[in-house]
Amino acid sequence: MKVAIIGGGIVGLATAYNLAKEGFDVIVFEKKYLLYGASGRNSGGITAMLNDERLIDLAKKSMKIYDDVQSEIGFNFLFRKDGYIKVASNEDDLKKLKDELNLQRKLGVRVKQIDANEIKDFIPDFNVDAIVGGIYGEGGVIFPWPVIWGYAKGCRELGVDVRDYTTVEEIVVKNNTVEGVKANGEFFKADFVVNAAGAWSNEISKMAGIELNNKIIKEEICVTESLKPYLDPYLLDVTTGVYLSQSMRGEIVGGIVGSEVEAIDIKSSLDFLVKYAKRAVELIPKLKGLCILRQWAGVYDEGKEIPNISTTNIRGFIQANGFGKFGMCLAPAAALEVVKLIKKH
Amino acid sequence: MKDRKIVCRCEDLTEEDIIHAIEEGYDDLESLKRYTGATTGPCQGKGCLMHIIRILCAKTGKSPDEVGVTTQRQPVNPVPLYLLAEGEEE
Repeated sequence: MKVAIIGGGIVGLATAYNLAKEGFDVIVFEKKYLLYGASGRNSGGITAMLNDERLIDLAKKSMKIYDDVQSEIGFNFLFRKDGYIKVASNEDDLKKLKDELNLQRKLGVRVKQIDANEIKDFIPDFNVDAIVGGIYGEGGVIFPWPVIWGYAKGCRELGVDVRDYTTVEEIVVKNNTVEGVKANGEFFKADFVVNAAGAWSNEISKMAGIELNNKIIKEEICVTESLKPYLDPYLLDVTTGVYLSQSMRGEIVGGIVGSEVEAIDIKSSLDFLVKYAKRAVELIPKLKGLCILRQWAGVYDEGKEIPNISTTNIRGFIQANGFGKFGMCLAPAAALEVVKLIKKH
Repeated sequence: MKDRKIVCRCEDLTEEDIIHAIEEGYDDLESLKRYTGATTGPCQGKGCLMHIIRILCAKTGKSPDEVGVTTQRQPVNPVPLYLLAEGEEE
C-alpha cells in the first residue's frame, strides 16, 4: 500500500514514521524546508493540562511517546519536564482553570491549584500582584526542531522518502477515489493521500474538491539572549495569552496566543513586541534588562474538531489537520489514530 | 587548535562543524542555520552568514544566488524588554 503525505511537519512525519513501521510504502511532500511551518515556529510547550477529554488523552499518550521515540530513533528531543503553569489575572479565568483542573484530575493528570505566592516556589522572581491564581502540573518544554529532525531521520531509516522543496500541484482523483498526486511535475501513485498541511490544509483539501474551512490562526513569538538556567516551568497567562519559557539554549522564548486571520501571513509586528514586553515584565520584573534578539510569526489551522482526523467523500483522501495550537502536544499520539484509520479502509 | 577556523563566534562553530552538518544532509541554508544554530546568536548572522554561505557554496557547488540568504528578522540590534515595554500599544 502506498501513502502520500502532504506536509513535513510533526503530524505528517509522525504519521509517516508509524505507517512505515506497519510496512506501508510512504512518501512525504514538503513544499518548503522541514520546520518552515508551525512545527518549526512554535514555543515547544508540552502539557496534558487541557480542557477536553479527547485532547487530554492524546496529550498524555504523546508525552509517553516522545520518551519512547527518542530512544527508538536515537535523537535527543531536548524535552525538559519541569512543569507547566497556567495563571489567571481575573476571577472568571481562575474559575475556568479550576474547572479544567477537575477534569484533568479525573483523567489522571497530575495537577494542583496554586495561589500567587506558591508560584514563587517555582519562579522565585514572580510578581504575585500580576495574577489572582493558577494551576501547576506535569508538562514542560520540548525543542521542536530536533523533534522534526528526529522523526525525519526515523522515517528515512525506515525507507520513507521525505522530500523537501517539493510542491504538490494536483491530487489526482478518478471515480471519487485518489490515484495519487502530482508534485514538481511528476506523478506519484498512491492508495491514500494524507492532508497534513497545517495552515495550508484548506488549499490542499480544495485540490481534492473538498471544502475544509479550518480557521487560520497567526501567532507571534520572540526570543531573548541566553541565560544560564533560570526559569524552570513553562508559564502561560490565560487572561492575556502571554506565555514564556526557557529553552535548552538558555533563551527566554515567549509569545502571545494567536488570533484568527483572513489569509496566511507571517509578518512580525512591533505591536506584538510591545504587548509582550509589557506583560512579561509585569509577570517577572527581573526580565526587564534582557534583550530581544529576534522575533517571528507563524500560522496554524484549527478545525471544527480539534484535531480533524477523518476520511472524506473521496476514497483514500484522509484529513489529518486542524490541530490548533496543540500540534506538538497531540501529534505523536494522533498519528497513531491516522494509521488506524488508514488500516481500516 | 590553531587549525580550528571559527566561523560563528556566538554559537562557537568551526568550519568543520558546518561541513559536518552539510554532510549530514542539512544542505540548504535554512536547515543548516537551524541545525547548527549559526546566525541565531547575539549577532544574528552579521558575523557568520557570509562564511556559512561561502562554505555551503563550496560544498554543494551552488552559486550564492542559488543558496540565497536567511530571513532577516527584527530587531536589527538587540533591544531590552524595558524599552519595548515603554512603547505605545496600537
